[in-house]
Amino acid sequence: MTTRIRSAGALAFTCALSWTLAATVPASAQTEMRAPKGPVEITVGSGAGGSPDVIMRTIAKIMNDGLVENPIVVQNRTGGGHSNAYNYVLGKKGDENVLLTLASPVFTTPIVQGTPSVIDQVTPIAGFVQSELVLLTNPDGKFNTLEEFVAAAEAQPGRVRIAGGASGGNDHLATALVEQAADIKLTYIPHESGSAAQATFLGGNVEGHFATLAEGLALIESGKAKPLAILSEKRRTEPGYKDVPTAKEQGVDVVYLQFWGVAGPPGLDPAVAAWWADKFQKATETQAWKDIIAKNLQQSTFYGLDDAGAYFKREQDTFRRLLTSVGLAKN
Amino acid sequence: MTILELLGQGFATVLTPAGLGFVFLGVLIGQIVGALPGIGPAAGMALLLPLTFGLDPAIAIMMLAGIMYGGQYGGTLTSVLINVPGEASGVMTAVDGHKLARAGRAGTALSIAAIGSFIAGIGAVIAVAFITPTLSDFALRFNAPEYFLLALLGVTATASLGASPVRALMAGVLGLMIALVGADPLSGAPRLTFDQPALFEGIDFIPVAIGIFGIGEVLASLERAQAIAPIRTRFRDMLPKMSDWVATRAAILRGGIIGLFVGIMPGAGASVASLLAYLTERKFSRHPERFGRGALDGVAAAEAANNAASHGAMIPMLALGIPGSASTAVLLAALILHGVRPGPMLMQQESTLVWGLIASMFVGNLFLLIINLPLAPLFAALLRVPYVYLAPGILALSLVGAYAATLDLGTVWMCIVFGVLGWLMIKFDIPRPPLVLALVLAPMLEMSLRQSLLLSFGSLSIFVERPISAVLLMVVLLSLALPILGALKRSRAGS
Repeated sequence: MTTRIRSAGALAFTCALSWTLAATVPASAQTEMRAPKGPVEITVGSGAGGSPDVIMRTIAKIMNDGLVENPIVVQNRTGGGHSNAYNYVLGKKGDENVLLTLASPVFTTPIVQGTPSVIDQVTPIAGFVQSELVLLTNPDGKFNTLEEFVAAAEAQPGRVRIAGGASGGNDHLATALVEQAADIKLTYIPHESGSAAQATFLGGNVEGHFATLAEGLALIESGKAKPLAILSEKRRTEPGYKDVPTAKEQGVDVVYLQFWGVAGPPGLDPAVAAWWADKFQKATETQAWKDIIAKNLQQSTFYGLDDAGAYFKREQDTFRRLLTSVGLAKN
Repeated sequence: MTILELLGQGFATVLTPAGLGFVFLGVLIGQIVGALPGIGPAAGMALLLPLTFGLDPAIAIMMLAGIMYGGQYGGTLTSVLINVPGEASGVMTAVDGHKLARAGRAGTALSIAAIGSFIAGIGAVIAVAFITPTLSDFALRFNAPEYFLLALLGVTATASLGASPVRALMAGVLGLMIALVGADPLSGAPRLTFDQPALFEGIDFIPVAIGIFGIGEVLASLERAQAIAPIRTRFRDMLPKMSDWVATRAAILRGGIIGLFVGIMPGAGASVASLLAYLTERKFSRHPERFGRGALDGVAAAEAANNAASHGAMIPMLALGIPGSASTAVLLAALILHGVRPGPMLMQQESTLVWGLIASMFVGNLFLLIINLPLAPLFAALLRVPYVYLAPGILALSLVGAYAATLDLGTVWMCIVFGVLGWLMIKFDIPRPPLVLALVLAPMLEMSLRQSLLLSFGSLSIFVERPISAVLLMVVLLSLALPILGALKRSRAGS
């Protein structure tokens, strides 16, 4: 899911929206940029405290510390698997004072509900945060490696249990990827939230649990969990994780990155989109942002105007494939 | 360092002008958002979160926590005065609290609620300070099978909330049916949504409760507008008497303990706590027939329980980084935004912050008691306003609350539809609390049953193999069998 754009042809094929006309030249240098007037709302489809909410509030604060003069308001419009948020933004054609937070439900909800794709309608601006997942097991459990975990599932299909967040969410899709890559059958137990799943895991009720690296580190350091594998291309370099092998190293070819980004409403003036892409890029280059990314053990690969659109469409294809494989896709 | 030294260090953080000021501000905001239906403490905290950025993290967390438990005190107001519980944990308070208000004893109910909340809150904070690690391990022994039985206990017990068990059960089943609307919690398949995106995440508690209680009440009052005399409230009835305190102190103690234990479980919250505390109190009471008709000990137990639960939810949050409620989830987010990583190491790595927070809860609860005791008679005096003038205010507050909860007009329409249902229920004398409680309990009931069966690979034996689960199963069976046996005995004695 992390490969860069394959060819210029693929890019041209997927670029249907007006903003991408500017993408054939380096956007930051030559595209005309124009700041919107007045306060700007960043709409978030999750409740206060969810990852997308925390990310947006953090970057909004950094941007308002000297980069952007417009007051930025982060507004939670929860419900309907982010559909209240994206429908609100979809209804604001050309509006320069509203942005949409892109998180996986913005992609998966339309696929699950059989409604038109959101990412095909909005004006992509930037993708700027990614987070890896680590597969944890009980500290006194019988598994020490992903190989042992997989072998147990091979011996007894469906008897190895993973506790995770909502059905169709990131943990569920990562589980599906592991099942496909290793050709095994696991029992996935969905929960109303990631933290509810963590409680089930800490209570010793299941064999496996996916956590973000920051959540996982706290559990590993306190001896409440044992890491089996990180679902990424290469190992992390931090002391807590440098000895944790990737799934790939252990013969399960799975890379899964959660990601977050931002888009404007349909038909947003390309000059305003370019201005925002520039501001988000500058915000991710600040020390304050880098410190937060390091502290949360996330990544901040920046996809701007020239590649964000293609990146999001690629992710949408992956989501559709995975949701189809777990029997949830409607379109 | 010993716990007392750490606590002393915590008080040193709180007992500064900034500390006291922000704790006071937090509990005051909590009191206000708790009293407004629709905006609960969690939403209030989220709204104010960005404003805390410039503050010291410890001060910011103290203030936000103040909103959290302040909301439990504030929620009592609308439950008692106008019978509109602003959130699920206030439903049981409204049952008897509003009856007391009708009888002119609103001031007494509000004062006893504040005192009960205070005592239970302080007790819960002491538990947080001294036995958090032990309790958090205990909390983890509760999982899907135990939650299922707890929810089952709650749902079956709603049958006893009303004069007629059959009518109460009808309302409860209707609540369960409303809860079925929305995406299947496990498979994600839409159920009864009729392709309406608005229904995909199900029907939320807020429009239902505001509609059924608030709007239903106003509609019913229109029919008898001429007949309603203003509630006569004598000023000497507005403060609790010594006898009221004596009659409720045991209820406060029991309610507080139940609230604390239910609150520490990450899967059950203040609403389950107040329901169980209320039902337990009725079992212990010497006058169970008064419950539902204005029992002060019922109000005391429910309020003590919901405040203890909201403090108890801090225990898994501080010890494990697992939020026990919607409000603690916002607190966790605030920690992350302030650069503090929650998790099992929090109490060691951030001891100043954690102990400052614990100390601040002692101070904040004291502030809330001081705010609420003199205000109770003042708010109770609101009921001297004739209902014809009060009704439009209640209607406006209800509709604005429904809109504020989601910023979506659809919620307002839903609220009005449930208002009509509430009016019909009043007309046909069907009790309303069972419907709302069943709606709150249903997702827990369904999710945890299916999770249990996934955990056990389909075997029902999971409910008897786990010790806590086996005990709860016994309690459920007894609670179902005893009334039936009692009825049999009576009918035999009669024949």
